[in-house]
Amino acid sequence: MNNGRSFKAQKVIDRMGQKLTRQMVGSLTACVHCGMCTDSCHYVLANPGDPTYAPAYKADKIRKLFKHHYDWTGKVFPKWVKAGSVYTDEELEELKDTVFGKCTNCRRCTVNCPMGVDLATFNRMARGLLCHVGIMPEGVEYVAKEQWEIGNQMGVLKEDYIETIEWQEEELQEEMGDPDAKIPIDKKDAHIVYSINPREVKHDPRSILDAAKIFYAAKEDYTMPSEGWDMTNFGLFNGDDDLGGAVASRVYDKVDELNGKKLVISECGHGYRSTRCEGPNWGKRDIAFEAESSVITMLRYIKEGKIKVDKSKNPGAYTFHDSCNNARSCGLTEEPRELLSLVVEEFREMYPNRAENFCCTGGGGAMSMSEYKPERLKSAKIKADQLTATGTHTVVTSCHNCVDGLNDLIGHYKIDMEVTQLVHLVANALVM
Amino acid sequence: MATLDFEGTSYEVDEDGYLIDWQQWNEGLAGAMAKEDGLELGEAHWEVIKFLRDYFEKYQIAPMIKILTKELKKKYGKEKGNTKYLYELYPAGPAKQACRYAGLPKPTGCV
Repeated sequence: MNNGRSFKAQKVIDRMGQKLTRQMVGSLTACVHCGMCTDSCHYVLANPGDPTYAPAYKADKIRKLFKHHYDWTGKVFPKWVKAGSVYTDEELEELKDTVFGKCTNCRRCTVNCPMGVDLATFNRMARGLLCHVGIMPEGVEYVAKEQWEIGNQMGVLKEDYIETIEWQEEELQEEMGDPDAKIPIDKKDAHIVYSINPREVKHDPRSILDAAKIFYAAKEDYTMPSEGWDMTNFGLFNGDDDLGGAVASRVYDKVDELNGKKLVISECGHGYRSTRCEGPNWGKRDIAFEAESSVITMLRYIKEGKIKVDKSKNPGAYTFHDSCNNARSCGLTEEPRELLSLVVEEFREMYPNRAENFCCTGGGGAMSMSEYKPERLKSAKIKADQLTATGTHTVVTSCHNCVDGLNDLIGHYKIDMEVTQLVHLVANALVM
Repeated sequence: MATLDFEGTSYEVDEDGYLIDWQQWNEGLAGAMAKEDGLELGEAHWEVIKFLRDYFEKYQIAPMIKILTKELKKKYGKEKGNTKYLYELYPAGPAKQACRYAGLPKPTGCV
């Protein structure tokens, strides 16, 4: 016990000192409590009477610790700057319910903050502090463990992965009527190394087959790696930079080993952000190859005439949902729209959109936290209204997690809409 | 913890509706869960549920879709041993929907 503080509480305080970056300190000191963030958060909009959802309120839970322990203002006039500490494990559990259960780290408040306060960045840091002392939702803990120990977030063994790819190769040969059609594994010097989300292997390989069809049609020189193929990263969700760096490095190392020219990341928002944008920082390394989203790859194939598509094969009106990680954190907003317009009969915009779009409400690892599901679905009302207003039959998104988040709320609010990804629409529109 | 009431018994389920104790499962419960989703379980649905139960009893883990399709193909032929067929039967996906009806735990990770 330190100053009457529990072992874990003291650890959290100590660790905070090691984790504060200049950007975080800037964010923790810049808030002027103007309230712009309040109007931008889907949790607040769906729970107007509950101040505990307000981004500034959530931020204060973390800010008070910073002020008390690491900022001179908290030492000189602690009451004025609302400095405070944590003492018990129960308080840490409460903090867990805020940083995991009341924020999806979607960064909509961030892009709307006139002071540039990046709540999601220090909310993620707070998650990391709690994980450091073993306090996190059970689902997040389980998945992070699988990613540490087995090398992918769903514990898929190497032989099962390879057998699944071989099975999809057989399907490709059958559908293309070409016994020589291949999904190469561990091919050296390939132009593209294609990385995926484990759910594609474990639960729904249709996206692997559709991507293979597109690569086949484009006569691409590509390969899938036998290891380091999981481009998802729970380090982004649990705030553990070490996990983030280890997972991203596995992917990078394999591309290096195969001497691949380019790493292509299948449609996954957090995977794209982690592998393309954050991974080198977490892993404290550089990467010598280009990394791109498969959305950009597919668009290039059409523009360069490598594949031909017929948009009448996808009839009716489709709308597009921007994944938070893709749009707000990586600026991937125009390419998916351009691609979608090329492969469907009618593309109808959803409002607000791009960096202002609302989260699917399952972001930040929320789909792995069953304990917060009722609150999550209640807050999804905002997204449900946004979807319904488009009057389309299908919502398209470039993120596996958004697919599940959207499907969940569509079921809950009984909306007559389907969810799909660009890879399926492009494959379906292919003219061979 | 949430509960699911069926024929006078209260079953513990997680917030996603998955049974906490897979051994409490019975066929009526699967039917009740499906009914809530507006789905009537037919012979074809039961083939999948029964396989999932048997597999889980043996290995204490839900099968990958590769294994599920392979085994269904062996038992019931090619037209039933493929991904498309499984998604037609269970639109929310065999992992999320069929596993829940079969009393298996919620799949982990980004699903």
